[in-house]
Amino acid sequence: MASPTPPSPTGPFRLLGHRIPYVEGPLKVTGRAEYTDDLRRPGMLVGKLLRSPWPHARLLSIDTRRARAMPGVVTVLTGERYPTPFGVLPITHDETAIAVGKARYIGDILAAVAAVDELTAERALTAIEFHIEPLPEYADPRVGAEPVAEPIHAPGLRGSNVQKEVVQHFGDVDAAFAQAAFTARVRCRFAGVTHAFTEPLVTLAEATPDGRLTVYSATQVPHYLHRTLSEVLHLPMHRIRVVKPEVGGGFGGKSDPLPHEIACAALSLETGRPVKMLLDREEIFYTNHGRHPTENVVRIAMDRDGHLLAYDIEALLEGGAWSSFGTVTTYYNGVLAMGPYRVPNFRYRGRRVYTNRPPSGAMRAHGGTNIRYSIEVALDELAEHAQLDPFDLRSRNALPPCSTTINQFRITSTSFLRCLDAARRASEWDTKFRCLPYGRGVGLGCGFYISGSNSPIHFTPVMPQSTVHLKIDMDGGITVHSMQADIGQGSNTLLAAIVAEVLGADLDRVHVQRVDSDVSPIDIGSYSSRVTFMMGNAARRAAEEIRARLVNAAAELLRRPPSELRVGHERIEVADQPQVAVSFLDALHKAMENSGALTASGSFSTQKLGGDFKGARAGTAPAYSFAAYVAQVRVDSETGMVTVEKVWAAFDCGRALNRLAVEGQIEGAIHMGLGQLLSETMNYRASRLMNPALLDYKILAPDQMPEVEVLLVGEDDPEGPFGAKEAGEGPLVATLPAVANAIYDAVGVRCRELPVTPDRLERLVRARRAEGYAWKEDR
Amino acid sequence: MSRDRPLELTVNDQPVESAAPEERILLDFLREDLELVGTKRGCDLGTCGCCTVWVDGRPTLSCLTLAHLVKGRSVTTIEGLAPPTRLTALQRAFVEHGATQCGFCTPGFIMTASALLRDHPHPSRPQILRVIGGNLCRCTGYTKIIEAIEAVAREST
Amino acid sequence: MHLDPFELHQPATVDEALCIYRDHAGDADYLAGGTDLLPNYKMHLNLRRHLIALGGIPELGGIALGRLGSMTRLADLEGSGPVAGAYPGVAEAVAEVATPLVRASGTVGGNLMLETRCFFFNQSRFWRASLGYCLKAEGAVCHVVPQKEKCYATFSGDLAPALAVLDAEVEVATDRGRTRIPLIDLYDLRGDGIRRHTLPPSAIVVAVHLPPIARQRLGTYRKLRIRPAFDFPELGVAVAVRFEGSSVAELRVAVGGLETAPRRFDELTDPLAGQQLTEERIRELAGAITRSVRPVYNTFLPPDYRRRMTGVFVRRALVDLAPASSAAA
Repeated sequence: MASPTPPSPTGPFRLLGHRIPYVEGPLKVTGRAEYTDDLRRPGMLVGKLLRSPWPHARLLSIDTRRARAMPGVVTVLTGERYPTPFGVLPITHDETAIAVGKARYIGDILAAVAAVDELTAERALTAIEFHIEPLPEYADPRVGAEPVAEPIHAPGLRGSNVQKEVVQHFGDVDAAFAQAAFTARVRCRFAGVTHAFTEPLVTLAEATPDGRLTVYSATQVPHYLHRTLSEVLHLPMHRIRVVKPEVGGGFGGKSDPLPHEIACAALSLETGRPVKMLLDREEIFYTNHGRHPTENVVRIAMDRDGHLLAYDIEALLEGGAWSSFGTVTTYYNGVLAMGPYRVPNFRYRGRRVYTNRPPSGAMRAHGGTNIRYSIEVALDELAEHAQLDPFDLRSRNALPPCSTTINQFRITSTSFLRCLDAARRASEWDTKFRCLPYGRGVGLGCGFYISGSNSPIHFTPVMPQSTVHLKIDMDGGITVHSMQADIGQGSNTLLAAIVAEVLGADLDRVHVQRVDSDVSPIDIGSYSSRVTFMMGNAARRAAEEIRARLVNAAAELLRRPPSELRVGHERIEVADQPQVAVSFLDALHKAMENSGALTASGSFSTQKLGGDFKGARAGTAPAYSFAAYVAQVRVDSETGMVTVEKVWAAFDCGRALNRLAVEGQIEGAIHMGLGQLLSETMNYRASRLMNPALLDYKILAPDQMPEVEVLLVGEDDPEGPFGAKEAGEGPLVATLPAVANAIYDAVGVRCRELPVTPDRLERLVRARRAEGYAWKEDR
Repeated sequence: MSRDRPLELTVNDQPVESAAPEERILLDFLREDLELVGTKRGCDLGTCGCCTVWVDGRPTLSCLTLAHLVKGRSVTTIEGLAPPTRLTALQRAFVEHGATQCGFCTPGFIMTASALLRDHPHPSRPQILRVIGGNLCRCTGYTKIIEAIEAVAREST
Repeated sequence: MHLDPFELHQPATVDEALCIYRDHAGDADYLAGGTDLLPNYKMHLNLRRHLIALGGIPELGGIALGRLGSMTRLADLEGSGPVAGAYPGVAEAVAEVATPLVRASGTVGGNLMLETRCFFFNQSRFWRASLGYCLKAEGAVCHVVPQKEKCYATFSGDLAPALAVLDAEVEVATDRGRTRIPLIDLYDLRGDGIRRHTLPPSAIVVAVHLPPIARQRLGTYRKLRIRPAFDFPELGVAVAVRFEGSSVAELRVAVGGLETAPRRFDELTDPLAGQQLTEERIRELAGAITRSVRPVYNTFLPPDYRRRMTGVFVRRALVDLAPASSAAA
């Protein structure tokens, strides 16, 4: 639609680009922000789940009679009642809300109970009796990659537990290796890690006599939950209302529709009463959907001048019991290696294998973290072989703006070279690298991540990925509805700020409403770092539509053509005579004379991107973020203890629309990345998770957090809202290799197995010394 | 048969006369019985600090405290830290410095750090790091939480 | 997570507490700060139907240089300048216990009587049931060292080694009256993760007494763990030493976090009396201690590493305490 008014300004901005405190901050700091577990309904029952103590078992019979007969027990559900399979990806529906026929991991849900209180519900669980046949247990993906006696799901490749295999080859990798002057090969193993958000998983469901079902849940993606509830419970979507209260962190762990959410809703449907189901920490560890335990092998070929020739990558991903996002993960572990460097030849083979363990899924920097680690560590080795500075190697190979990768990713904006430059200068790299005394070191790691997955998960019906609704009535308050999910990353604040910026309004005029599927237009939620880019563009469009009407109304009042006007702070003024103006409210009231409240809808859809080959959509995004981090560490070579002293984090998120939030994302992502590198691990013995508790799952303490110097050097992205790109996930990936390469600079050992716990590092250092060659002045 | 036993204490400066079973945990008593849901349940095992309240002014894990053992004592929750429509200087600083992201750990941090600033208006950075060591935050990397506490320490006279 | 119902007793005297215990022998636990017991109760570990809270007994309180009441909160001990100044090793140890929030409730007595810990024990009822339970709770087999005789759960208190090297004594109340025993004798290395105390189950630790000589010793406590907060010790090394001139008058080394009980190595340190603490002697001692400890794999870090670190930590502690003239390393 051609607008008669001038376009939104390109800056400088009144709000955007500054430090904008969260709009809901005052509620959070006073304990008044409302999370799902804070809600209660009259007559509410407690829902509890019975979980499998067996890693793999055939369920022969289940007897719930004793449990049902207990006083205070209202209902007991088993899998047969709602057996429709589901999953976040339409192509891999292999989960059920409650196990049907088989239990597939320790913690798998076998039955659900609704009772008058927690104690009664727990006692009822112990009264449910099972007759089972134990089945072979598959904990090792290398075993499951081969034919097995009892596949966990329908047999995969050649009767194995392989859920997904991806094979891609662009160019001629073998020829490239044949002509390479330098090659590197690294094999790395990564333990699984999990989100460990502070707010537990919790759902409150309320079926009502009007035939409707309301579900309040701690979710990142209300829309997928909405779809899944409809599919599994056989209720049309319009009779289900999904509400997202405040969510206490997600990091990917609340992005799948989760079985307990469906089980809770089913209990409410069965009983006709509200049911709340709060999972305890152990159950949350079993629900998992965290980063895949991974083993990868990365080979890189480089020519004499330091130009990269080829990547050859293999990855084996341990999927746990369900598919979850795993098909995407399997692609991402290859294709997210395509940046930030130009790679002319590329080969990838990735396999994801089911195991009898809690499901793996999407976790912050999904699919991009482990492969990035191996690539960046391998590049550090190559630089050393070629006697190139690690920065020089990277800048020599940087993808240029407006380019296309060999697998046809479209690169528009990139400020990667500026990231390299900023990190190198701020860290005083050239005075430190290989110059610090033994035990201290610096390392470089770089990053690349999607700014929103270009293709939605669901293709039917065809619809925008983001829609934002605005309403302004005579009170001058601007109500914003959208199903984007603020989970703490600040998307409500950004939504309000974009609307206020475009309309020239004070921020306190804008009220972002709680996500409620009855009134919020669909946005596909908070995952894949898509919110700023997609919701931001949708919000901007909605606000511009209102703005045009306000400007037209002001034009009438001022008797000037709209093209001569501009939007100022709380007013609309004549561009070259700013003293001639009408107030925001006067313009609003004029605009409402015939229509009543002004309403507008803005939406955003991505254009088709990527090639036409199988899997070409994986990793396509309307924009990408870039990063260059330098870490400085101190290693106690005798104990293997690592202290990360400082991280210089140069990041390209285009224009940072809320610097406070962007810094917070970067600092938080570094903390999480350091946790994966140094101590976090889903510690299994065979199929058994040994540490399903926050005491034993080692998230770094405040004392271990390094100083972080954030360097925001991004230039405007041509398509991002006001030039912005993502800053939620990309900031994590560079952290791990930067520190690992710094450890190498400090003590001369390469860390191939994560987490790099002190015992592992101490062993590596001893082994290096035993080999008898020195590192720096450690002689 | 009710196993409830009378329980009298002071909560947010108000006398409370209630009753609860002897095994009632203070966190459950506050959230379920008194509907003071600002105090959060994070891990229920003393390893996250989300449930921190004051008992006689001292930051305490309410998930590991028996309600009947605070009988006659004074409990302060996040709801009682300031009049309902006002923010304390620390609460303001948390908002302005971006020290709250998802907000779930925030009430616990506010309770812990408010007690620190009350007792030591000008804490050193190591002191701050030590004192918040039992409060887990998964969003911020602690950086902005520390900045917010330091900002209040700087401003106080 | 709720607690299963129990009866809560709040005695006002030690005798009353002993009396209540006697009435419910075998079905009662004493409750000090609750930071160890209540998580275990939430996990349904060895539940009793009677809890005897010790917080209302005035005699168990009080902090003085020579006496620490068993119900002294760890945070109060940490914040007590005179005590911290007199016993730097104890001050270091108490400051490293768990987190400030745990120390606000946790007590000296509770830390001394801490339940032993193990991967296979500190788990929910669901988790343990899925493995058929373990020797220490409801089961018949140990999963750490598979057999049916001995429990290998690890003693993870920080204070015990730090107080043991000061020759502290504990005052204990039992049905048969009051006794005072050396603190290190609370623990029975010949026992196991279940039978780890020399005291009867009804006994109450009243106070820790520190002899005047303790104030003349230099001391330090070194704790191995992944994080500087939250974690129990994977190894705790306490050293106390008094020098006369440049020679050792008394030297004590104790370790915790490695075995079912803390251990003091008097047989290795007593011969050093009158000797200079040379680099070589320090290395010999650290090596001997390393060779004698037997950690098992039931905590986060593997036992071979924890053993190696025992030597490193002992050596570093001694080097730091030794007069600059004697140890060069």
